[in-house]
Amino acid sequence: MVNAKYSDGRSTRIHAVTLSVVGGDLIVTGEDIDLRAPFSEVKVDEQLGRAPRRIRLTDGAFCEVSDLPALNTLLASTTHRDGWVDRMQRHGPLVFGACVLCVSMVIVAYQWGLPWAAAKGARHLSPAIGTALSAQALKALEGSVLMPSQIPEARRQAIGSAFRALRMPDGGTPASELLFRRSPQLGANAFTLPDGTIIVLDGLIDAIGDDRQILAVLAHELGHAHGRHGLQMLLQGSAVGAFLTFYVGDISPLLAAAPAAVLQSRYSQEFERQADDYAALLLLHNGMSPALLADALARLAQLRPELSNGGYLASHPSTDERLRHLRALAASSTAN
Amino acid sequence: MENVSQTEPPTASTQEPIPIRFSGQGGEYFRIWIVNLLLTIVTVGIYSAWAKVRRLQYFYRHTELAGSSFDFHGSPVKILAGRLIALALAVGYRFSIGLRSRVTILVVIAIALALPWLLRNSFRFRLYNSSWRGIRFHFRGSVAGSYRVFLLNGFLTLLTLYVMAPFMHQRLKEYQHDNSWFARTRFSFHAGATEFYGIYLLLLAAIVVFAVVIIGSGLGSGLAALTQMQRHGGHPDPRAVLRAIIILYGALILTAIIIGPVFHALITNLIWNNTRLGEHRIQCNISPIALVGIGMSNFVLVVLTLGLYTPWATVRMARIQLNAIQLLPASDLQEFVSAEPESIGAVGEEAATAFDFDISL
Repeated sequence: MVNAKYSDGRSTRIHAVTLSVVGGDLIVTGEDIDLRAPFSEVKVDEQLGRAPRRIRLTDGAFCEVSDLPALNTLLASTTHRDGWVDRMQRHGPLVFGACVLCVSMVIVAYQWGLPWAAAKGARHLSPAIGTALSAQALKALEGSVLMPSQIPEARRQAIGSAFRALRMPDGGTPASELLFRRSPQLGANAFTLPDGTIIVLDGLIDAIGDDRQILAVLAHELGHAHGRHGLQMLLQGSAVGAFLTFYVGDISPLLAAAPAAVLQSRYSQEFERQADDYAALLLLHNGMSPALLADALARLAQLRPELSNGGYLASHPSTDERLRHLRALAASSTAN
Repeated sequence: MENVSQTEPPTASTQEPIPIRFSGQGGEYFRIWIVNLLLTIVTVGIYSAWAKVRRLQYFYRHTELAGSSFDFHGSPVKILAGRLIALALAVGYRFSIGLRSRVTILVVIAIALALPWLLRNSFRFRLYNSSWRGIRFHFRGSVAGSYRVFLLNGFLTLLTLYVMAPFMHQRLKEYQHDNSWFARTRFSFHAGATEFYGIYLLLLAAIVVFAVVIIGSGLGSGLAALTQMQRHGGHPDPRAVLRAIIILYGALILTAIIIGPVFHALITNLIWNNTRLGEHRIQCNISPIALVGIGMSNFVLVVLTLGLYTPWATVRMARIQLNAIQLLPASDLQEFVSAEPESIGAVGEEAATAFDFDISL
């Protein structure tokens, strides 16, 4: 016998009743109520914490039961079996397992899954999207952040023709367009847009000086273009942002913003390493030493010493680490 | 439009107030939350609709009034459909904003036209799928009303640089509550725009005071260093910039944790204290200070546990708000019940049309 409250589903009047099971039938008796229904026709709600459970009859009526242990004893004598999600929620070790599985899946997805998916996605995304994004970015930057270059025309042509004469490791010449601009805000820098367009700033040309070293930096940027790092960053950024919003967004949207920035920076460090490796390959392929890129980076680091110690938060790996890696590549290529 | 507000207030109740009681517990909800999270990740988000039904059922069924709990009946498939529509709208919006062409304007107009209708259907879905003692709530707001409330008032709010925001908020709540029903009894809303303006002015004053304190605390010098760099080239003092970032970010968090909950408590109290179900009044008395305390400790604990505290945080938030609500019956509740025979039937079916879904995430 289990105490319950019967509602007919048509009015809010409740009737105190008792439930029992006899010969496969559910029997409901109490105030003005005397019902018998085959147990196979009733539906029992899952157990959610200590919330009352409802036993639903076919006509919209139901019995609300608060005495859960008594109900479970009653159910044990019937054919009713709780659903698997229901049982999982109540099973301590399974809940612990779910916890461990969630944490490890998030780590695996972040470490390997997302970069893999973003790389795949960036390759399959229509080039038109990259072009549209780049055109939009350029439109926003031209005139405000990017100014016309003041490097003499002859020098620009010299760098441009050396760049176009590069032979790519997979054959052919660079597909990227090279743009010369000046930017007081961005200083000595070069960057690659999602469609592969490379923008080299006057500050970088002035700071490095040597054309072969400038070419080495452009080779590094070609590495970004080759790996479609711009699009990958965009895809990964959206995915990380979406997950964090889903995960902690209902507590505070602010909570989601800060970790997103930190989580993104590891990816961009990885891209810098990849671009360095590609540049080394490209330079060797063109009969130049990867040490040229190392020299260029060293010169830039002298200019901005505060950026050379890239911690975990920095978007670039520490310059020292990159220099060691590139010089090791240069040394091993001469040794062969 | 039919005017439901009575000329004279309901007579003072001789009945005992009936409190709402929320009995959910963090540890219990954690089990449901973590299984939901696991299945959502495994199914790449598809299970999230089923997860939402479980979550809402956990909260509804642990909310009790006069000895009976509430229930949620929403279909996960309809919630999934609603989420796909919301996702399509969000992606379409993000993408078209990026294009900055004529397409952008067309997409924004299309979304603006679709949104009021979607939101109205979303209200309808949520209420129709909520019940107490087996009787469903429902929402009968007109489509025209939703366009007036969201589109016209939204446009006016933008036009007046948010001066009309409190007015829009009041009209929205009026539209929601005046058109909500339980069985054959209609809810009614009695707070005017003036009362909303009062609370919004308080919010504005608090933000101004915060801004003055923040600027006074050295954010200005950091930002000045940045501006100087932009104008003259060169590199700013990284420490000044870092300090500016910490102050700005800290201020945003503090604002969200202190001003946000206080405003939320005041406005929620105003809204529910001025909502009636037929002759029955509702009393809502959320303590702003307690809400700030819970918001702050939730924030700290969620950060420290990398989000695993979330279910406890959600339960505490629900508990403090739900336990602050009481129903003040004008007549005996049993009498009220028996005065509502055969209550829903046809009315409920009418609401369950093909276009009801839930777009709220």
